[in-house]
Amino acid sequence: MSESKKWFSLDLDLNKKSESSGTCGCGNTQESCGSSHKQEELSAEEFYEAAINASIGDERKKDGFEQVFDVQMDRRDAFKKLTASLLIGAGAVSSCTSVVQGADSKEKAQIDWEEQFKGNYKLMTDDEKKQTVDRLMRSYELRTGKNINMSSKNAEEDVLFGYAFNISKCQGYMNCVTACVEENNQDRKSQMQYIRIHEMKDGKGFNFNEADDNYYHEVPAEGHFYMGTQCFHCDNPPCVDVCPVQATWKEEDGLVVIDYDWCVGCRYCMAACPYDGRRFNWSKPEVPENEINKNQHYLGNRIRKKGVMEKCTFCVQRSRKGKNPACVEACPTGARIFGNLLDPDSTIRWVLENKKVFRLKEDLGTEPKFWYFMD
Amino acid sequence: MKNKNLIYYLMLFIVVCFYSCKQEGEYHSITDKIEADQKPYHGNLSSEELLAGTDLIQIIEGEHTFLIPERKGQIKSYACIECHSKPLNEMKGVDSQKAHWDIKINHAALETMDCATCHNPDNMNNLKSLTGKDIDYNLSYKLCAQCHSRQFEDWKGGAHGKKVAGWAPPRASMTCVNCHNPHNPGFETRWPVQFNTQKVKERKDDLGH
Ligand code: SF4
Ligand code: SF4
Repeated sequence: MSESKKWFSLDLDLNKKSESSGTCGCGNTQESCGSSHKQEELSAEEFYEAAINASIGDERKKDGFEQVFDVQMDRRDAFKKLTASLLIGAGAVSSCTSVVQGADSKEKAQIDWEEQFKGNYKLMTDDEKKQTVDRLMRSYELRTGKNINMSSKNAEEDVLFGYAFNISKCQGYMNCVTACVEENNQDRKSQMQYIRIHEMKDGKGFNFNEADDNYYHEVPAEGHFYMGTQCFHCDNPPCVDVCPVQATWKEEDGLVVIDYDWCVGCRYCMAACPYDGRRFNWSKPEVPENEINKNQHYLGNRIRKKGVMEKCTFCVQRSRKGKNPACVEACPTGARIFGNLLDPDSTIRWVLENKKVFRLKEDLGTEPKFWYFMD
Repeated sequence: MKNKNLIYYLMLFIVVCFYSCKQEGEYHSITDKIEADQKPYHGNLSSEELLAGTDLIQIIEGEHTFLIPERKGQIKSYACIECHSKPLNEMKGVDSQKAHWDIKINHAALETMDCATCHNPDNMNNLKSLTGKDIDYNLSYKLCAQCHSRQFEDWKGGAHGKKVAGWAPPRASMTCVNCHNPHNPGFETRWPVQFNTQKVKERKDDLGH
């Protein structure tokens, strides 16, 4: 793709101009400029409309079965539609007088187009992964004028991530929860949290029904112990099996991940997870611009949208660089241990071999890679 | 005859099962998988870059070899003999400068330990073991290990305590005094760092689950 080069041409001046959306290239404000800025803004939607019309036309108004069997299209028709869609794809429908704005919005349209019709991340080649990540970074820059750093780093060889949680150490401080929210750009409005810390009564076993995962008093409380849950990155994950579009899968290093752009939001996986590991975006996630963690991974903490599933990824953006997940780093008591299960010299392996470990609902056969142990 | 055939079939069945299982790289459990695929990690990832800014020393304890943060450089008033130039009782006077006034021991019962259990008034630059041997400040964990042997075992293996940086090798673990104040080693009770008001609302409206 020769075009892709252009997305990286860092011209801060141009971006500043496009940020102050009231002005256009001619230096005047919207009203006096004479160009139709408002329409330009609107045309993003119209653009989609036109694009979709051009590419699938009638089909979109019918569904499923009908769509496949009912479409009659002779070659001429098909050719016409194809040309139209290509023209739109190339950003040929633009009518702004401002060259700068025009170029930007053309590029935006181009990116949106390519993002709209890209494939499932799971099936992408490394090049395609890189391209989509580049597009997303550029698109963020175009929309906000700020840069983010998004990685598409694949799983490393000879690595299988695992986690151990020391029940006798956890004091219920919840530093992990805060660190996770900040690291992973979770929705502040709905106060989404991947990690839950369950306060349980001593002598009652692991009774989740009677446990409180939203306590607010001095901790550790008399006669209680604390147990953290999050996605356990099952080796045999039922959430993956039920996804109708394969938007969620297990990576080579054992991380169970989601392609937020492929997820259709059916929430089957949420129902299938026996551990309450998944969280759904009922509304558009909101993170204040200055709090956004700009070190992102496609499969990890990049900004999600409304109507998609998300969950703990063992901080894929960190763990694939050799770092510990944010929760492990933030825990003041050392209750959280993370590492490479395949490395016999790793500390997590020592824990598994020398402490009495167990997992939740082991009888389900989900094979979580998240063990609990006590001192 | 019939029996023999049956046995042959059975053997064939077992062999087929065995192969079909291994060929797909599938294992019956995660522990089988770990055992089959394990090997010491010498891959691309390393914690070296993350550890670059930290002064570390290597220790060998039993079968464990790993790094811990250097300590003496972190103690503001080390070396101690810069002040402790004469015996302790000669320094206890009204006219001399007050020091360590803020240290209160909240560790074990007073019959069990006092200052001199760990500090040697005749050699302030080193710590002192229960049998009166010198222990270097950098290796203060040896002092703790005298009583806290179970924690020591867990720490050596990696079940107790935290890593300095990432999970990737080389292993660098915090030492006892990086998390525990030796004079007051327990963790305080305190308030959780956050409270989810939205969850309360959802549960009141019975929206959540
Ligand atoms: S804990 Fe739940 S969401 Fe995570 S892998 Fe297992 S089934 Fe899937
Ligand atoms: S919500 Fe998304 S990830 Fe989950 S099953 Fe549906 S499509 Fe798959």
